[in-house]
Amino acid sequence: MNRRELLRTAGAGFGMAGLSSLLQAASKTETASGALAVKAPHFTPKAKRVIFIFLNGGMSQVDTFDPKPMLAKHHGEPMPGPKIKTDRASGSLMRSPFEFRKRGQSGLEVSEIFPQLGARIDDLCVIRSMYSDNGNHGPSLLLMNSGHGLAGRPSMGSWLTYGLGTENQNLPGFVALCPGYPVLGPQLWDSAFLPSSYQGAYIRNSEREPEKLVRNVRNKDLTLAEQERQLSLVGKLNESYLSQIGHQPQLEASIASMEVAFRMQMEAPDVLDLTKESEATRARYGDSDFGRGCLMSLRLAERGVRMVQLYFGNFQPWDSHDDIRVHAKLAEAADGPIAALLDDLKARGLFKDTIVIIGSEFGRTPMIQNSGLERVGNGRDHNVPGYTTLLAGGGIKGGMAYGATDDFGFKAVENRVHPHDLHATILHLMGLDHKRLTYRYSGRDFRLTDVAGEVIQPIIA
Amino acid sequence: MWRQITLAACASGLLIAADADFFETRVRPVLAKNCYSCHTGSRLGGLQLDSREGLLKGGNSGPAIVPGDPEKSLLMQAVLRVHEKFKMPPQGPLEPTEVAGLKAWIKSGAEWPVAPEPAVPVDASVYTIRPEQRAFWAFQPVKKQPPPAVKNVAWPKSTIDRFVLAALEQRDLSPVGPAEKRDLLRRATFDLTGLPPAPEEVDAFLADPSPGSFAKVVDRLLASAHYGERWGRYWLDLARYSDGDLGASKDTPYANAYRYRDWVINAFNADLPYDVFVKAQIAADLMDPKDGPNQVPKHLAALGFHALGHGADDQVDVSTRVFLGLTVGCAKCHDHKYDPIPTKDYYSLRGVFKSSEVREYPLASEAEVNAYKAIQKQIEEKKFEIEDFVKKHGDEVSDVLATKTASYLLAAWNGDPADKSGLDAETLQRWQSYLKDPRKDHPFLKPWLDLMERRARGETVPMDQVRKTAEDFQTFVLAMNAEKKGMDDRNYVAMGGAKGVRDERTRQYTNLESLEIVKYYLWRDLASDPYKKDFVDFKGGVYHHGAKQIDRFLPPLLQEHLAALRADQDRLQKSLPKQYPFLHAVRDSAKPANGKVEIRGEPANLGEEAPRRFLAILSPGEPAPFTKGSGRLELAEAIASPDNPLTARVMVNRVWQLHFGEGIVRTTANFGLIGDRPTHPELLDYLSARFIESGWSVKALHREIMLSSTYGLSTRHSEKNYAVDAANRYLWRANLRPRLDAEALRDSLLAVAGTLDRTVGGEPVPFDDKNRRRSVYGLVSRTNPDETLALFDFPNPNNTSEQRMVTVGPMQRLFFLNSSFVAQQSRMLAEKMTAERLRGDDKAGIREAYRLLFSRDPLDSEVTIGLEFLQKSGGSWPQYAQALLSSSEFSSVN
Repeated sequence: MNRRELLRTAGAGFGMAGLSSLLQAASKTETASGALAVKAPHFTPKAKRVIFIFLNGGMSQVDTFDPKPMLAKHHGEPMPGPKIKTDRASGSLMRSPFEFRKRGQSGLEVSEIFPQLGARIDDLCVIRSMYSDNGNHGPSLLLMNSGHGLAGRPSMGSWLTYGLGTENQNLPGFVALCPGYPVLGPQLWDSAFLPSSYQGAYIRNSEREPEKLVRNVRNKDLTLAEQERQLSLVGKLNESYLSQIGHQPQLEASIASMEVAFRMQMEAPDVLDLTKESEATRARYGDSDFGRGCLMSLRLAERGVRMVQLYFGNFQPWDSHDDIRVHAKLAEAADGPIAALLDDLKARGLFKDTIVIIGSEFGRTPMIQNSGLERVGNGRDHNVPGYTTLLAGGGIKGGMAYGATDDFGFKAVENRVHPHDLHATILHLMGLDHKRLTYRYSGRDFRLTDVAGEVIQPIIA
Repeated sequence: MWRQITLAACASGLLIAADADFFETRVRPVLAKNCYSCHTGSRLGGLQLDSREGLLKGGNSGPAIVPGDPEKSLLMQAVLRVHEKFKMPPQGPLEPTEVAGLKAWIKSGAEWPVAPEPAVPVDASVYTIRPEQRAFWAFQPVKKQPPPAVKNVAWPKSTIDRFVLAALEQRDLSPVGPAEKRDLLRRATFDLTGLPPAPEEVDAFLADPSPGSFAKVVDRLLASAHYGERWGRYWLDLARYSDGDLGASKDTPYANAYRYRDWVINAFNADLPYDVFVKAQIAADLMDPKDGPNQVPKHLAALGFHALGHGADDQVDVSTRVFLGLTVGCAKCHDHKYDPIPTKDYYSLRGVFKSSEVREYPLASEAEVNAYKAIQKQIEEKKFEIEDFVKKHGDEVSDVLATKTASYLLAAWNGDPADKSGLDAETLQRWQSYLKDPRKDHPFLKPWLDLMERRARGETVPMDQVRKTAEDFQTFVLAMNAEKKGMDDRNYVAMGGAKGVRDERTRQYTNLESLEIVKYYLWRDLASDPYKKDFVDFKGGVYHHGAKQIDRFLPPLLQEHLAALRADQDRLQKSLPKQYPFLHAVRDSAKPANGKVEIRGEPANLGEEAPRRFLAILSPGEPAPFTKGSGRLELAEAIASPDNPLTARVMVNRVWQLHFGEGIVRTTANFGLIGDRPTHPELLDYLSARFIESGWSVKALHREIMLSSTYGLSTRHSEKNYAVDAANRYLWRANLRPRLDAEALRDSLLAVAGTLDRTVGGEPVPFDDKNRRRSVYGLVSRTNPDETLALFDFPNPNNTSEQRMVTVGPMQRLFFLNSSFVAQQSRMLAEKMTAERLRGDDKAGIREAYRLLFSRDPLDSEVTIGLEFLQKSGGSWPQYAQALLSSSEFSSVN
């Protein structure tokens, strides 16, 4: 019986007896390193870690990576066909204020607002046929993160660390970075019914002092030597206790985690200390929160963190209801740091087995939004039937566009990709069969992909 | 054990097993009784066992039988329980004769006699509950079973023990010895109060040799107010209790939610009969006559259970899972895949909740409420009045300044001081800084900026060209302002006037006109107020003057007027009392109505009407429609009925789970088909029957459980038992609690340091280092959960939580090593130890700590370890105290 089966058979709720049987049956080494110990994948993986860059708020597809000449041609006309129901009232088609140009060897067209990602388009797979289920931010954020539109399911990072453990026992396996909170906050990196060891460790990347980034990582009163002496005392106390109560392996796991914690105190501040990078490197990322977040993501991935999720900013910056031109400023802030991250992943030999996901909870309408305006009528509403997500790195074919939306970029019509399919594909690249990665809770086997999901084979290198 | 069964099977293997009689007497009844509930229509694992084809086709793991070859047949491997994965049926092994019959039948070719066609065709459109579904264990009435005979008659102290022991003996297991007295006391105290026993309590118990000494302890603990805090909190897990609702970035506060929390705590402390407890949380408003000065029904606060939720769908889901252990929520879009719950039943229940509405019941006099609302309204009006005034005059100023645009540009060009040209100095200064950056979002200033650039290059620019450019620009600005004004007026009308403009929804959903985007940018740069939205941080237009700057443009009369308005607002704000208390509750809506089935869960796709009534599977025949109002009271009575097979069982099982770590049914919120089967079904029924007989007394249930030998077992390991039952499903020992749950941990840290504030009830207190209250009184947020509690698996209040998880990890250890909270408690604890030391010596200080933290005296070797550390650390008692608090013994319960 392997560890995952054990977890499954440990039954609903993972209560005390469940934990005890799990730990008793697990091998000694696994017990020592706990729930986050590296676990064998289902099959040979193409990638080992994920960096998920979330452009929260909803990046417009037709202004970035999904060019639509017909939109320019029919600018100002109503969208043909039956009246379309969008979140708020939408008006006529609106051309993109930005120009698209062919980039790279592949000649994929990219908007001028992403010049640097354009230059790296041959490394990117552009999925143009994403679609979601619900037009509101909350449910779509949850769907993109946890495969379910309501709160209460584990997020992808939790599933990945549950399935694979993590490579660096001195760091959390799943890290969520945001200067403050995106909409719904910790819900988005929640482990829900999975054990909380798989929950995303939230780090405020606006914080500049490494020691403030991880809770309780620094002792304000004791020197390291004092702490080591104290730790050795705790060890003796535990030993004495164990000798009095007899064989209780579940306590041994908690005892072992004390040493991990001690080591984490050195490693965690170090990994987040960006001054360890050269000035030239830091300059390429810029000194914005997002830029530093990209550099932190790189350093975390480099140290073996299984999944890093970086939110572009607080609340929902990409939600350009009023004015789509704001996308130019957003893209300007995102373009350079992401490009720097891709370059450094390559330079450090990580690109080949790191999956980079760049995307939003949904896209934006090709039509102008003419209600709900607070300032000006030049924006686009939420678009659920079609949007774009970018992938790069381990196991991904670069320089390709997959799927297509209709002539106006409204609805995915060809090779449609639901978040379940995206999740199935990511798990697949990480060596996990999304149908086999289950957890039994409340009498049912749960999956990240619920009862759906198809691996998108054509985008796999 | 299985070898024995195989022998029995061999003995009967030569019977003529191919004829129909054999099938009808030895095979079909066995399959029907043991397998059909999961493997007919429900097809668990893809397997259907009610036809030969079904058996041959098999399930997800391949054919169930190989005719003629029992050994190779999965079905046989499963019933013999030798297959790695499948051990069937889940409720326990078949009788040897049953196994033998199946084997013989397969060996002889597994013929399946063809049954005659049913005389009446089955109507597929009508949902019928099949007899085998009705026969499922959980839907059978609770039947009080006589306790079984046991071999070891000396061990059982109570009826519970006889059920447990019988199950152990059946498996050749034997209970390990009893726990030590101090362990038992510590276990019981944590179980019932979530706190460690005080040293005096330990001394008293150890000094009392009487047989009833432990019963006294249990009674003392049940009488403590801390009992309700502990067990009330577990109920709040189920009720997804929170002090606010999930919001985009912070909670929408439920200022009075804590009144529900306190009601729950009080209900446990008062041992409110569980049936009343359940009924109150569904229909308190309809139960009791109104009383008290506010004419509020006695248990009205109980309705927080529903009012703090998320509407009718959530109410159906949560109340059926919590009270009945059924996942009725699964039947929203399709008939329940496994349990006999048709979609129509879902909508029957939803109709009850849809016919009810959330309502605030003030706990203050009508006059008080009205006075509060009146002041609030005045404040709001005053605020609007000020805003309107400021905007009106601000716009006027902006318009007037715009008529001098050319003058400002020329003054900026010539570097003239403001007073010389009769201009406003600050506005001129704003113009100068605006013109510094040539990058603009609009093209309209380009001619002007070009002139500036030419001059900067050293060219001479003719003054009349400068003047003309400035004047052209001003003309454009004035035309644009006129266009904008016309649009604003039309938009104002479109939104229905001042009221609509202030209404978020109206603004969101009205078609509005706006300037062409580039014109808008110019307008914004000149006239807009500052705003921050979606990545734009606009600092305010050149001509804009808001509340902070408008005064200096106003004549004295208007200045005084504005000052008076502001003074009025301040005065009103100060006179506003704290909001009157109220209850989050529910009432019947004015017109209760049945809903219609939403086909596939789509609200637009309506099917037949679903009468408001109870679940069919829990009703003797066709359930009768509810007739009183929404039907909530009738629903409450149906759930809290002694005849309901689930309500008592589900609660008894929850209490059992919290005492033993696992329920008798491990899936505490799912007693359906895919839930677990009870390990001790007769015990569950015995306890459920006792529970009802006792008048649904939860305290009596605790007492009965805790006074058993089973509860008092030691956690000691036994190789022999472990080899048979590693997971301890049959309770041959007590389960060690490897880690206290989040609240018990925090509360115990405070308790042993002597800093715990034991006040009962009241408003929620935010978690910070100053908060000394018990954790149950800490503020529970849905959007921003407390990070420390979450670290120790405090449940997520967005969903009902049926069981606490216990995880261990390094982030938890960092909390002990480094958090200011633990450091603080360590210092306080060290002070207590030092006080003791002054009365004796260092050993006395160490001894005091062991008694406080671990309820025992230290071993000599432990004293030595402590003294050594103190010597090496230069006598740092706080460091020593912190190590003790970080040790496994402190946070585990043996």
